[in-house]
Amino acid sequence: MTIDISAIRTRMRDPGLVAAPSADPATARVSFEYVAWATVWLLVGTTIGLIASIKLHWPEFLPFAWLSFGRVRPVHTSLVLLGWSSLVLVGLSLYVVSRTSRVPLWSPRLARIALWLWNLTLLVGVVTLLAGVNRGPQEYREWVWPLAVMLAAAVVIDGYVAYRTVAARTLPEVYVSNWYILGGFCYLAILYVASYLPFYQAGLGNTVVQGYYMHNSMGMWFTQLALGVSYYAIPLLLGRPVYSYALGVLGFWTNLLFYPLIGAHHFIFSPVPWWLQSTAILFSVGMMVPVWAGTGNLLLTFKGGGDAVRRSYALPFFVTGLIGYGLASTQGTAEAFRSANIYWHFTNFTVGHSHASMYGFIGFIAWGAVYGLVPRLTGREPSPLAVGVHFWLALVGILTYVTSISIAGILQGFAWVSGQSFIASVIAAEPMWLWRTIGGLLMVGSHVVFAANVWAMRPQRDTVPVAAPGAVGSHA
Amino acid sequence: MNFGGLHTDHRAIIAVAILVFLVLTLVMAVLPALREQALSAPAAGVTPRVGEEERGRQAYLREGCGFCHTQFVRDLPMDRPYGRPSRAGDYALENPPMLGTQRTGPDLADVGRRQPSDAWHLIHLYDPRAVVPQSVMPAYRWYFVEKDQAAPGDVVVPVPAGHAPPGKVIVAGPDARALVAYLRSLQQPKVAP
Repeated sequence: MTIDISAIRTRMRDPGLVAAPSADPATARVSFEYVAWATVWLLVGTTIGLIASIKLHWPEFLPFAWLSFGRVRPVHTSLVLLGWSSLVLVGLSLYVVSRTSRVPLWSPRLARIALWLWNLTLLVGVVTLLAGVNRGPQEYREWVWPLAVMLAAAVVIDGYVAYRTVAARTLPEVYVSNWYILGGFCYLAILYVASYLPFYQAGLGNTVVQGYYMHNSMGMWFTQLALGVSYYAIPLLLGRPVYSYALGVLGFWTNLLFYPLIGAHHFIFSPVPWWLQSTAILFSVGMMVPVWAGTGNLLLTFKGGGDAVRRSYALPFFVTGLIGYGLASTQGTAEAFRSANIYWHFTNFTVGHSHASMYGFIGFIAWGAVYGLVPRLTGREPSPLAVGVHFWLALVGILTYVTSISIAGILQGFAWVSGQSFIASVIAAEPMWLWRTIGGLLMVGSHVVFAANVWAMRPQRDTVPVAAPGAVGSHA
Repeated sequence: MNFGGLHTDHRAIIAVAILVFLVLTLVMAVLPALREQALSAPAAGVTPRVGEEERGRQAYLREGCGFCHTQFVRDLPMDRPYGRPSRAGDYALENPPMLGTQRTGPDLADVGRRQPSDAWHLIHLYDPRAVVPQSVMPAYRWYFVEKDQAAPGDVVVPVPAGHAPPGKVIVAGPDARALVAYLRSLQQPKVAP
């Protein structure tokens, strides 16, 4: 072990920033374009999600083939996962690799080509899925393979741009953010290809791959980029080093070792091999190591920084997102146990869990990073009041959503376990579905405010972006 | 291992990360999937779906029915009403197999045996609330035709009064009939005791 901790710590005090000139304009512009398009997909994807939610307590709402529940559901998940969450994190990541490497992005032009390829895939994906062209209910890989090829190409191009940027860095170390970010691109490319190749997916083989795919797409992609961006943005906004560099590296390796082992916990009590299910349950517990290494490390970075959090409009999003990460992941571990699985599996509890993690963790981290970093690359800030409205609408919205849908799940589980007729579980859950829509309405409302804030942060024409003087934690 | 070298060498970090993930992908996904594929021999008497049943399966996929209906019976008391516990062989010819992750509606692994009435299925697809008042399932009216009078050979759906426009007869379209044929075909193969 020859890590020169003190040298790294000194560098961490300012993660590649103070000495760096202001962001390269081409890098800034392409990063912003990613964030802006991600916001468009967020609005479309969550509006579609709201329609799906309303249909559960008002089944005759919009009774058209193209908007029936079974068709809008994969559109909602595809858009919020592969549209909003992916694009916003890729855009921020491209900025982070450039800043932490202290060089402009290797090829903003190529990154822009990837963005358009990505947008085209999403657009065709929406139309085909609404038309009923799909591969069946294989979650998050519903759209047909030509779209998968296009998306994989976009991921590889973006990953290559990030890789070449890190390769051109002017510092000896690869900052820990870049471990997570480069790792995320590599994992997603492998994951996506492995999940679409048909050679081992006849019969139950398909189900084994389904568990692997839908689980890893969370922890080996979204978590990677969100943590990568957090390890840059949080120390920067607080103006202090990350609590422990070593914990960040530990989190990276343990996530890689444990996470891919747990996909089968979505098929407990199935004919999928028992050893696969048991391994999945065991390592669902193992996941507590990287989860709490990440959450703890980043939260401890805040220690004594309460003042900065109060003055910043970006940091409260990060604090919420980190708490969301710890809680949602711990909940996931609990759900994996066979005894808990009996009550919760197949119920809406799972839907609550996926929203707690994708929204309470990934969404909030992404918003924190957008508000913390975008003003630095465009030189424009949103109104703090509008950011506050976004924060509270989104927080109250997701809390209402997760609480109501989790109660619905528990009621469903109890109805089934007590041996009542199936429709009793529908009747029990239905009032909670109405509350879920109310939560969803607040969430969509917060996204409209967010979109207005992104517009307020757009780059000015013909001006060189500089760090916004008012940005909290700004060293300018 | 020189960790110091690792953290200044982007190639080494990426190479190790890719290698580990590839190995885990192989061990946790590809190899078990290959093994399941080989083990999933169809049970005796099970044949691939053809004709109307296959057309119905296509409609089932198109409408995303599998997002709310599982086809996966667990060996748990609460799953007894839906059939016997599912076996690997049940899915041998299913592409894709639709075990599912949500049960917003009941399991359908053995629905062809549980609910064998064509008329019930047709009414239920036309308007689920005509047979189950509290149901939240979508109505698939685009697979039906409203007519003033049935023509010879039409499959007329006996929709209860109040659930169809007055004075009209509801005729099942080809996809509605195919969907019912598919649902009727969902019967768990018998297994030797």
